[in-house]
Amino acid sequence: MSSISQNAPGKTVLLMGNEAIARGALEAGVKVCAAYPGNPSSEIIGTLAKVADELGLHVEWSVNEKVALEVATAASFAGLRGLCAMKQNGLNVASDFLLNLNLSGCRGGLVLVVADDPAGVSSSNEEDSRIFAKLGDLPLLEPANFQEAKEMTKSAFEISEQLGLPVLIRSVTRVSHARGNVCLDELPQSRPKPRFENSLRFHALPAVLNHKLLHEKLDRAKQMFEESPFNFYRGPEKPELMVATSGSGWMYSLEAMINLNVQERVGVLKLGTTWPLPESYVLEHLKKADRILFIEEVDPFLENNVKEIYAQNCLFLGLKAFFGKASKHIPDVGELNPEIVTHAIQNLIQVPYEPRPADYALRAHEAAAELIPARALSFCPGCPHRATYWAVKIALALDGRDGFVLGDIGCYSLGMGPSGFGQMRTLHAMGSGTGLACGFGQLNRFGLEQPVIAVCGDSTFYHAAMPALANAYYNGADFLLLLLDNSATAMTGFQPHPGTGSTATGKEAPVIDLKAICEVFGAHVEVVDPFDVAATVETLLRLLQEEKGVKVLILKRECALVSAKHQKRLYQVEVEQEHCLGETCGCNRFCTRIFKCPGLMWDKAAGKARIDEAICTGCGVCTRICPASAIRKEKA
Amino acid sequence: METGEKVNRGLKALGEKVLNSDQCTACGACLSLCPYLRSWKGRVVKLDNCNLEEGRCFAYCPRTEVDLDEVYRGFFGKSYEEIEMGPVRKIMMARAKDPIWTKKAQTGGVVSALIDFALREGVIQAGVLTPRDGDLLPQGKIITNRKAVLSCAGSSYVSGPTLEALNRGPWKGQERIGIVGLPCQALALARMKTSTLEKKTPIDRVDLVIGLFCTWALDYKPFMAFLYKRVSSLSIKKLNITPPPERILEVMAGKTLSRIPVDDIRPFIRPSCRVCLDMTAELSDISVGTVEGKEGWNTVIVRTAMGENLLKRAKKAGVIETRPLPKDNLSHLKEASLLKKRRALDALKEMGEIEKGYFTLSANLIKCILSESGETLP
Repeated sequence: MSSISQNAPGKTVLLMGNEAIARGALEAGVKVCAAYPGNPSSEIIGTLAKVADELGLHVEWSVNEKVALEVATAASFAGLRGLCAMKQNGLNVASDFLLNLNLSGCRGGLVLVVADDPAGVSSSNEEDSRIFAKLGDLPLLEPANFQEAKEMTKSAFEISEQLGLPVLIRSVTRVSHARGNVCLDELPQSRPKPRFENSLRFHALPAVLNHKLLHEKLDRAKQMFEESPFNFYRGPEKPELMVATSGSGWMYSLEAMINLNVQERVGVLKLGTTWPLPESYVLEHLKKADRILFIEEVDPFLENNVKEIYAQNCLFLGLKAFFGKASKHIPDVGELNPEIVTHAIQNLIQVPYEPRPADYALRAHEAAAELIPARALSFCPGCPHRATYWAVKIALALDGRDGFVLGDIGCYSLGMGPSGFGQMRTLHAMGSGTGLACGFGQLNRFGLEQPVIAVCGDSTFYHAAMPALANAYYNGADFLLLLLDNSATAMTGFQPHPGTGSTATGKEAPVIDLKAICEVFGAHVEVVDPFDVAATVETLLRLLQEEKGVKVLILKRECALVSAKHQKRLYQVEVEQEHCLGETCGCNRFCTRIFKCPGLMWDKAAGKARIDEAICTGCGVCTRICPASAIRKEKA
Repeated sequence: METGEKVNRGLKALGEKVLNSDQCTACGACLSLCPYLRSWKGRVVKLDNCNLEEGRCFAYCPRTEVDLDEVYRGFFGKSYEEIEMGPVRKIMMARAKDPIWTKKAQTGGVVSALIDFALREGVIQAGVLTPRDGDLLPQGKIITNRKAVLSCAGSSYVSGPTLEALNRGPWKGQERIGIVGLPCQALALARMKTSTLEKKTPIDRVDLVIGLFCTWALDYKPFMAFLYKRVSSLSIKKLNITPPPERILEVMAGKTLSRIPVDDIRPFIRPSCRVCLDMTAELSDISVGTVEGKEGWNTVIVRTAMGENLLKRAKKAGVIETRPLPKDNLSHLKEASLLKKRRALDALKEMGEIEKGYFTLSANLIKCILSESGETLP
């Protein structure tokens, strides 16, 4: 039994923030859970998928976030509780539905968890998703620790049902991915039966009337939040400085106060219901201090909303000084940490504090480097994407017309760096590579002579590239789409998708054939194995030079990490030392300097290349690149 | 210039001075030596950056820092001084006697017949030639028998990386080698021989170089795109340019003969041909070309003892027959050869300064070349 499915009220367990959110949903009696994977949110649905059969839930990986939200919403419309999870970029995809769902309202508890990625550690941006709560007039909760992650999720279902609105929960990486103690409550045993009440209507229209009703609901939410246990103040009655914070900022603030030993001088207002803000509660606390510092991840959301309340009430409050991102006391980009918060507080109340030396980060990095092997941001050894980009690089050079690659979101985004030989020239949203190619594919009429290539992974294809491909054929765009089919949503943790033959809960599923889809969309489709570099180069050149219109080349080869789980390595690869000419070869360390698979290493002592047998997966691709034919492979 | 930095004589410089400056002759001397360069449809393409300070790619190239005196001394034992058409031991007209050669050959079939003879006599055990097949794409091939020699007869007027085959092999290790190449390829071979860099190719076993007269060669890709607009997509059997003043490119595709004015194909001449000093493939044992006004005959220039010996034996064995080259033809040939040199110097002057060109030549010789062609230095 998993720790999140045990019915052990009062027991304390160690949970990851995302597991705590999942547990909160279970304690609320959730029945339908849907998501598209994306860090740092993926473990929420991943965890629930593991207990789905045991607890009688429907858990699915949907093809994209909008569909996922629609799936969870259907449960709500039928009177069940639904949970949907996604990363910040995903909310952009789901927002079209969300910003109509707010008007129609919902029935059973519906909770949308969005896990933001400050500093974009595993994202293309560091967008602050909270703005969508304000945009859509939707209640928003921000957990500050693991227990709260569970409690808030549970409570969000109640709030949702009381208001008839979906409730947003905004997590961040350090809440979602860290672990802490969580005290469990009871798991409900009820088995509600879904039913769509035909007396009910879920229409966004009439827009103005529903907008008015929505504002009334939001006023009720504001009233509810005045009493919320997720908002509290800790500190002296008249602090010299009040820190107003939400989410992971709470823990950072506590640590900073301890660092500076200023608990008697500085108070912390911790807000968990950040939209709509409980106005009376906020005003009451603003009276306590004349100087307020805001600590929150990414955008000055809390900061600006509190300032709005202040502006409306400043006559009664008198002069206040606000500090935060606007005043530059807190950086307005990147991720916070206790050091930043400590420094900001110390700056504002002038307490002696030995700050970290300026070169601390550098020294920490150096100290760590001695313990950790140096690894570049790189494709894994044996990754089919490396072979693909290698072939693309060669084909574009030989083609000689300065062709370029439009990128997309996935492991293959690393194609913008040395691991992908710098081939990828654009990177935006899911499916945007193909969409941009639709546009570039029209520019030949204005004299664009460069070949246009888009890349897209299999999961991304189902997610967002299919409409672009339909558009390409319909409007007669001329480009080559490389469909990198590694049969996995690899970057986010190998979640299954419509092409993999299994579901989130491990059940067998029909496989949707990528080739057939592309052909139906009117594309000329061919399939190659990227490990056959020569054939891939030849096919690329032929498609670029001889075929007009929409072409799709499916580069089919399973993700090396997935393969490693169920099959032995293809080849035993070796650099034959007597054949490797080392520095005298004239190849200028081609295998380790240019091809750069981490499975190849330069043996400084011998002055020759070697295979790192511990990590080589035996794909054999490198055996074709050595001018001295010193890299040999044998069937393993 | 004293910059303190080492002058690059590797791929970096080759890229800047030759590949990116459209000065590549596509001779193939730099290929299959390292993984950074590859040829595709008659073009040499740099795939990756290499930062080595010197490389064989640069050292062998016929368009990089060629010290003509040094190269000629290495090949002939004397400096670059016979400015008309290089060292000449003998000059004559010749043709192959066996119709097997004359039927398919461009003119007199002397080149094919001599290579075949050299193979049969054991003078060489392998040849590096350029097959002439339907898609016209020139590529080097190692040949060891008559059938293979025959497949290489005829010209396509398109240059290609023949010398890559020498670098690539595979070689058994003992064969003596004969190579048929254009003037730029003969120059590259001579540079390979004289280079002090460690050799990775069997250049020291190249005993015979038969050079082909050449005034220019075409760039494969644009020329083919043009050609297939003019002729059917059927396999092209033969290309021939009729002698002046007509100058028509005759293309035999399937059973149809198309006639294209040479002026229409001039845009596809490789820019690197404009700066070429050498029409008669001077750095060869034997140079072979056409004879104006004498269809079915080759002009043959014997330049080395090796060449003279081979020709003598071939004649004695009845493989070829020879006749004296008429005086008018000889003077026209010299004139044309010098004209090519003068045009090359003019082209270099247009591009900047002759002294900054790809070869070093004394001011006196430059003056000489320009004046003997009726021109003087400004």
